[in-house]
Amino acid sequence: MSSNERMTKGYDVTVAIVGNPNVGKSTLFNVLTGELAHVSNWPGTTVARKEGVREWMGVRIRFVDLPGIYGLSASTLEEVITREYVVNERPDLIVVLVDATIPERSLYLPIQLLELTPNVVIVFTKVDEMSRLGIHIHFDKLEAMLGVPVIPTSAIKGVGIRDLLNTIVELTRSKRKFKELVINYGGLEPFINEISKIVVNSKVLKPYPTRWVAIRLLEGDKRLEELLMSSNELDILNSVLKVRESVRRSIGRDPSELAIGVRYEFVSSIAKEVVVRVERKGGSEELIAEVFQKPVLGVLASSLLLLTSFMLIFTVNTGFPLNMIFKFLGLEGLAEFLETYSLSGVLGHAFNVASDYVRGLLHYNPVLASLISDGVLVGVGAVLSFLPLILMIFFLLALLEDSGLAPRMAVSFHNLLSRFGFSGSSIYPMLIGVGCNVPAVMGSRILLDDVERRQVIFSVPFIPCQARFIVTSALVVSYFKSPTLQAVALLSIYLVGVLTFLLSSLLVRRVVYKVRESPELILELPLIHTPKLKVVWWITWDYTKHFLRKAGLIILTLSVVIWFITNLGPNGYVGDITESFGAMIGRFLAPILTPFDIPSGTDWVLALALFQGFVAKESVLDTLAILYGTADISEAINSLGLTIPQAYALILFITLYIPCLATVAVVYQESRSLKMTMLQVIYMVGLAYITALTTYYILKII
Amino acid sequence: MLKPLTELPKGSKVKVVDIVAGKGLRDRLLQMGLTPGTVVEVVENSSGPIILSVRGVTIALGRGMASKVLVEELQT
Repeated sequence: MSSNERMTKGYDVTVAIVGNPNVGKSTLFNVLTGELAHVSNWPGTTVARKEGVREWMGVRIRFVDLPGIYGLSASTLEEVITREYVVNERPDLIVVLVDATIPERSLYLPIQLLELTPNVVIVFTKVDEMSRLGIHIHFDKLEAMLGVPVIPTSAIKGVGIRDLLNTIVELTRSKRKFKELVINYGGLEPFINEISKIVVNSKVLKPYPTRWVAIRLLEGDKRLEELLMSSNELDILNSVLKVRESVRRSIGRDPSELAIGVRYEFVSSIAKEVVVRVERKGGSEELIAEVFQKPVLGVLASSLLLLTSFMLIFTVNTGFPLNMIFKFLGLEGLAEFLETYSLSGVLGHAFNVASDYVRGLLHYNPVLASLISDGVLVGVGAVLSFLPLILMIFFLLALLEDSGLAPRMAVSFHNLLSRFGFSGSSIYPMLIGVGCNVPAVMGSRILLDDVERRQVIFSVPFIPCQARFIVTSALVVSYFKSPTLQAVALLSIYLVGVLTFLLSSLLVRRVVYKVRESPELILELPLIHTPKLKVVWWITWDYTKHFLRKAGLIILTLSVVIWFITNLGPNGYVGDITESFGAMIGRFLAPILTPFDIPSGTDWVLALALFQGFVAKESVLDTLAILYGTADISEAINSLGLTIPQAYALILFITLYIPCLATVAVVYQESRSLKMTMLQVIYMVGLAYITALTTYYILKII
Repeated sequence: MLKPLTELPKGSKVKVVDIVAGKGLRDRLLQMGLTPGTVVEVVENSSGPIILSVRGVTIALGRGMASKVLVEELQT
C-alpha cells in the first residue's frame, strides 16, 4: 500500500471478526473499537454491519464485524454475507471466535474457515466462565495442532485483548503466512480431486481456492452454482453435478452430510486432545433454565415477567397503562399523579417552562421565539421524551439477552406465534408496540431472520400504541355514552389494529417475499448466567446512541419543517394556524373526507388535525382544541358534531392511518430504505382510508 | 428402530441417523452439530418446541423440524 493510499483509507489493515451467534462477538468488538464504531446495514438487507478503527502500536486496524454464523455453507443470508466478504474483500486477517464454554461445537467454524484461508487468528471468548463449568483447554497445544495463533480472551475482564492486538500487529508486520488446513475426507477424496480438475478451467471461480471450491460444489452450494450459471460456465456446472450425482448414487447419502460429518469428527479428535471437562453439580442457573423450558410453566413465567416489566417501564415513562387501571377503579387522583410525575409528564412540564422562558427572552422577535419554542424545542422535547423509554426498554431486553433468558422465553411463545408467520422472538416487538411503536420497530433487531425483521418493521406500527389510545379513548368517551358501548368500541379498535398488524405481516411474508412455510425454529439456548452489567450497558447504549444519531436528527428536522408549515402562510409569518400553509393543506385535503359526509367547515379542521397527528398522535386533540379556540378537549371534540358512524370511522382511521413522525424515522433507520419507508406510509394511509370508509357505510346502513 | 425425534420422551439418549429435510434446513442442522452418529439428549419434549443437548450445547427445535430428524434410541 502506498503512503498516499494509507492516508485516504484511514486505516492500515482490515481484520474481519467471524463467529457463531451468542459467542460474544459484539462484546469483543466493543472492547476492541470502543465508541468509534460505525453502524450501517449490509447492502439490501436489514443485517447490521459494524466497523471501527483502533490504533495499536502505530498500526490503524479496521475491525469489521461480520454476521453471526455456524458454518460457510451459504444456507442463510448471514452465511452468504460473511463468505462473500471473506472471498471478495480479502481482509488481511480473520479473527474467528470460539466459545470457550462449548468448544466441542464452536471449533467447527474455525476449522471450516481454515480450509478457505490460512490468514486466521483463533480467539477463545468467555474464558472467565470456564472454571465455573469445569472446563480446561490446552490453548498452546491447539495452536501447535492447527498452526495458527490461538488467544484466550475475556472481553468483560479485559483478558487477552492486548495479546490479540499485539498478534494482529505482529502478523501484519512480519507478513508471516500460514498453510491452509487440509482435512482428509476419506472416501470423498477421489471425487474432490475429480471436481478440482474440472473447476480449474472456470474463470468465475478463480478467486476461490480450488480445493475449497471442489469440496463446496461436491457438498452442493447454491451460491457457487448460481455463479457458474450466471457467467455461462454451464458445461463446468453440468460436469460437477454429474460427479455429485454419482457420489449420491454410489454412497446413498448426500455428500454434504458426509463432509460435515468428517469435519465434525476432525473437531472431536482435536477436542479430545485439548479439552478436559470435569463433572460439576448443577446450580441455580440450571433450575431457572428448567423453569423457562417447561411447556406451561415457561409460558406463564415468561408472560408474567414480560408483562410486569413492560408495564412498569411504560408507567414510569407515561403513566400508561397503570393510570387507566386506576381510573377504571375510580382512583382518579392517583391516575393523575402518575401522569403528572411520569417522566414524559415532568419532561413536558420542563419544556413548557423552557418555551415560556424563550418566548419571554425573545419577545422583541415573535417569529424567532415561536420557531425556537414551538419548532426546535418541540423537536428536542420529542427526542428526549423517547430517550428514557428507549433506554429502559433496551436495558430490559439486554438483561434478558445477556442472562440467556430471552431465547428461552422466545421458545415458549413459538407455538402460538408461528401460526401467524412469526418466530417466538417476535413477542418482544409486539408487546413493546402496545406501549410505543418507536422502540418496537427498533426491537426488530432481536429477530434472527431478515424476512421476519422486515415483516415486523413494516407492520408493527399498526399495533395501537399508548398515544393512539389517548386519542381514541377521548373520542370514544365523547361519542359513546354507555360504558358498555365504550368498552366494546375500544376493544374493537384494538382488535382491528392487531388483526391489521397480523394480516399485513403475513402479506409481507407470503406475497412480497413468497415464503410459504411458517418460520422454523432452530435456536441455540446459551447457558443461563448472571447478566454482566457492563455488557448490558453496552447493548443499551448501542441502541440509544443509534436512535439519537439517526432517528433523533430526522425527528428534529421534521419538527422544524412542520413548524414552518403551520406558522407560515403565503404572507409570511402568521402565528395563527388557520392562515398558515397547514390550513391550506387542510383545505386541500378536505375533499377526501367528503365521502364520509363531513360538512364543509368541519372537514378542513379535521383534515388539518389529522395532518398534525403525523407529528404525534396526541396532536390531533391539541390541534382540534386550538382550532375551536378552547382549552377543553371534549368540547373541541363535540364541536365537530359527528354522527356515531362518522366518529367510529374517524377513530378507526386515526388508529391505522400513519405511523407518527418518530416511527417513520426509526423505520427508515432500521430498514435503510427510503422506498420501504414511503411504501409503508402510503400503504397505511390507503388501508386506513379504505377500512374507515367501508366501516362507515356498513354502520350507516345499520 | 428409526423414530422421529418428536416421538422420544424427555430424558432419552438417542443417536442421529438421518435428516429428511430440504437441503437448506438440513445443512443448518448439520452445521450445528447434528451429524449422523451424534449422540443427542432430549431435554424437553411436550407440546412446544423440542429441546436438545448436542455437543454440550442446548438447542431448541420447532416440532416440524424435529419430526424430520430420524434417530435411534440408545439402551440406557
